[in-house]
Amino acid sequence: MTDIASLRPALAVAVAAVAVVPILASGRRPNVREGWTVIAAASAFALVASMLPGALDGTVLVSSLGTLVDGVELTLRADPLGLLFGTVASLLWLVTSFYSIGYMRGLDEHAQTRYFAAFAASVAAALGVAFAANLVTLFVFYELLTVATYPLVTHDETAEARAAGRKYLAYTFGGGVAVLAGTVLVATMTGTTAFTAGGIAGLAGADPVLARAAFVLLIGGFGVKAALMPLHSWLPDAMVAPTPVSGLLHAVAVVKSGVFGIARVVLDVFGVDLTGSLGLGLPLAVVAAATLLLASVIALRQDNLKRRLAFSTVSQLSYIVLGIAILDPTSIVGGLLHIPAHAFMKLTLFFTAGAIHVETHTDDISDMAGIGKRMPLTMLAFGVAAAGMAGIPLVAGFVSKWYLLLGSVSAEQSIFAVVLLLSGVLNIAYFWPVFYQAFFESEDAADAKPLVEFPLGGEERSIRSDSGPDPDPVTDGGHADERNEHADDDHATHDHATHDHHGGPPADGWERRGWRGRESTWFMLGPILAAMTGAVVLGVVPGTAVFLRLVKVIVAAATGVSV
Amino acid sequence: MTETLVASLVAIPLLGALLVVASGLVSERGPPVVAAAVLAVQTALAGWVGSRAIVDGSLSNEVGGFVAPYGIELVVDGLSAVVVALVAAVSLAVLAYAVRDDPGGTAFYTEYLLLVTGLSGMCVTADVFNLYVFLEISGLATYALVASAGTGRSAVAALKYLLFGTVAASLYLLGVGYALVATGTLNMAHLAVELARVGYDSPLVLASFGFIVVGLATKTALFPLHTWQPDAYDDSPDSVSALIAALVSTVAAYALLRILYTVYTPAFFEAVPVARDALVAFACVSIVVGSVLAVAQSEVKRMLAYSSVSQYGLVVVGLAIGTRAAVFGAIVHLVGHAIMKGGLFVAAGTIDDLTGATTVDEYAGLADRFPVVGGASAVLMLAMVGVPPAVGFAGKWYIALGAVRAGTWPVAVVVFASTLLTLAYFAILVERMFVAPASASVQATTDGGTDAEGDRPSRPAPALVALIVGAAVVALVLGVAVTDLQTALEPTLDTLLS
Repeated sequence: MTDIASLRPALAVAVAAVAVVPILASGRRPNVREGWTVIAAASAFALVASMLPGALDGTVLVSSLGTLVDGVELTLRADPLGLLFGTVASLLWLVTSFYSIGYMRGLDEHAQTRYFAAFAASVAAALGVAFAANLVTLFVFYELLTVATYPLVTHDETAEARAAGRKYLAYTFGGGVAVLAGTVLVATMTGTTAFTAGGIAGLAGADPVLARAAFVLLIGGFGVKAALMPLHSWLPDAMVAPTPVSGLLHAVAVVKSGVFGIARVVLDVFGVDLTGSLGLGLPLAVVAAATLLLASVIALRQDNLKRRLAFSTVSQLSYIVLGIAILDPTSIVGGLLHIPAHAFMKLTLFFTAGAIHVETHTDDISDMAGIGKRMPLTMLAFGVAAAGMAGIPLVAGFVSKWYLLLGSVSAEQSIFAVVLLLSGVLNIAYFWPVFYQAFFESEDAADAKPLVEFPLGGEERSIRSDSGPDPDPVTDGGHADERNEHADDDHATHDHATHDHHGGPPADGWERRGWRGRESTWFMLGPILAAMTGAVVLGVVPGTAVFLRLVKVIVAAATGVSV
Repeated sequence: MTETLVASLVAIPLLGALLVVASGLVSERGPPVVAAAVLAVQTALAGWVGSRAIVDGSLSNEVGGFVAPYGIELVVDGLSAVVVALVAAVSLAVLAYAVRDDPGGTAFYTEYLLLVTGLSGMCVTADVFNLYVFLEISGLATYALVASAGTGRSAVAALKYLLFGTVAASLYLLGVGYALVATGTLNMAHLAVELARVGYDSPLVLASFGFIVVGLATKTALFPLHTWQPDAYDDSPDSVSALIAALVSTVAAYALLRILYTVYTPAFFEAVPVARDALVAFACVSIVVGSVLAVAQSEVKRMLAYSSVSQYGLVVVGLAIGTRAAVFGAIVHLVGHAIMKGGLFVAAGTIDDLTGATTVDEYAGLADRFPVVGGASAVLMLAMVGVPPAVGFAGKWYIALGAVRAGTWPVAVVVFASTLLTLAYFAILVERMFVAPASASVQATTDGGTDAEGDRPSRPAPALVALIVGAAVVALVLGVAVTDLQTALEPTLDTLLS
């Protein structure tokens, strides 16, 4: 790979960062303000996309921003792995910008200027993480990402949001400290922290105890954002944030920065061979596999849709970590490919949850029977994305899962293949009921949800609001049952004097809105369908969509093996 | 020529103090104007002398032509240059606030300039007894400044500070006395040679080390010698707290650095490893306990005071570890902390003037009403936590690197944990300011009705906003420019650590 000095990596980060200023300045003119967000997102994506062809051919653009501290250059380098994450983040920011407009205006949310400004800052930090050329630069942007996303997590300013924000800061800054400690150790052992395909040479000869300690610290630190158990518990609580935040940041940018960090550590700091010879691959794979299964089981018991999606995210992120930890080139391809695959699918799912919230104020699955009448396109997108999550062919999740399964078998760690297949079954178990009840159950005769709470064989009940109090389904947290408690935090600051704050169908049942898009605004439907289409494209023609080619280049450089 | 200017770094503020008295007799507006002029000249002079010292090598001046060791020698090397320039610049900046905040009379400005004299003198002197003299001058000026609020509480705080400070200075003097008895000289360079000759394990030398360190540690306010500090910071006028928080403990820590490395030299630590270990342990305890106590505070200025206890622990840890990276990190953190803490105290004072809010709960919702002040304060707080690329991160990085290189793992763990400990109390403040619903004091300003407590300005004065934002900007710039500072201080660090 040849390095060429260029402004473009720095410019991509700068465009997103500088956009904060005009967004803050045009607070009083919402259309201008939203225009700035869209322009910044489009420019950032254009810049990142322009660097893709070169990277596929072996030309890497580098922006050097000077020395931060002794011996450490603040350098942004658009190499294939960085571009993988950067493309996902910038493309999905563009999609999410339109969705945010629809969502924030649909709910008449407060503090929208702060929201859009913090969003731009967060994406700038995420791009900085993507293009960081060494551990210290990555740490700088990693911490800035935490700072920039905090106002978004605490957006609602309710007691629940503040508590979630405190937990978020404690976990992510704790992770940051571990990353710093690991970085200092690596710097002391080898004199450099720069990412080198195949691993930093000096680490191979360093004291194995220190090398293992540095690995544990780095993986643990990045593992907080990557939601590896038991460091995951900030993520379900962070679902109190507005849905576009939960979607782009907590399913795409922030959590992917955690797995991206893990990928960098294994591929470009330690190298696949050293990780294997230090005996660190298997423990990490076991942690990832355990997270995979446990999170899926917990997801089964969640009634709040966003919390269910959060645990699904925790589980799916471990697919990526598992693929990397198996240390086989094919499994690494699967793991890395899951970064864009999961991003598109999970974003679709979160957007549908947000659209349901805006249009019907429904957050709990137990209130969503028959909602396919009211929001058909939305629930169709939900079904497609959920199918992809489970690994059904023709959607993106299948391709990455295929490589993961092949890789785990070829590395003679077939137990993980079994784990992956089991997880697929669990995915179906917690997504299928949502889709099924939307189209094939009605409000009068719904099967009680969540699945695991009620006797086998189901229990039929009506969820219409005039049918008297029903026993509360047992929920694992999330929002209080909206039928029985009027003080719903999410709505406390809205000007919805005339709306019924209770979730679930109105007294006459769901309205039929038809399949032509009358169910919601196109600001929200468009991005939902766009993300779903992206997921399908990645599933149908993965070779043409740039991500698989990018991943193969990355793995060839990191392991020397062409997949 | 420049060498004689070294002496004027001390002479100018001293003469300025006299001029203030004189001008106070003539006109009421005289003192602030004269003080501002004198400090401007002092800043320019410090910048000039400092840059010469860094570029050409250290400058020395024998006062009155008397040759050392009988005479007093003043030396400006790269480190003194940085600190004396910091003293001059920060005191000029805080003067802008002092004039607005609490227009004191002639006495106030005289004490202000005497404090600057004492601090500058401490920075440039190369004689340990002369250091004591300037230590006492700055101490006395500080006690008077703390009491200038005129309230009963400030008088008690000043008295407490006076008692602690005098005992501390006396301990320092006792240490100097033992050193004099052992070696017969008071000049720092000569002491270094003579102490080595006497032998570092001689009881006189060990005793002098112990007394000097304890005395200076009290002035730096390390746990458990810090108890004068929260009252002094909390009960003094807001501009005075900004000044003393930024400068007094900073120069005391500088004096500790100077004595440890120029007088006792790294050879002392190698001969007496228990001295290093004790100092490191002492500082680590201060880091942890200072943060824990800060979390428990409800008054913001007291929280900032306990935060200083923790941050100076970090500085002294860097000094004590003794590797090159750690000592440089300590210097960076010293300078950075002065700017950040000074900025935070100016912000706290501004907020008090605007809303009467002095406790953490009363700060709720501040950032909505005063976004610029709130935003700049948040930047300063996050910089202190160690979010890169601000200067707080840079200092911590170097100290941590030095600790890891020296193989002192528990110290490295404490240094890393200090980020989380600092976060513990600053996150509470940031959360209150930005995300909590507005408190009663903040709401009173937004309602715009008549305030029962008298006239409160409805907008912060532009000069004060400029100061706070300026501090935040400098904290960020310093963080990025740290490598330039490292290049500038290379020769100084070589001399110090040899």
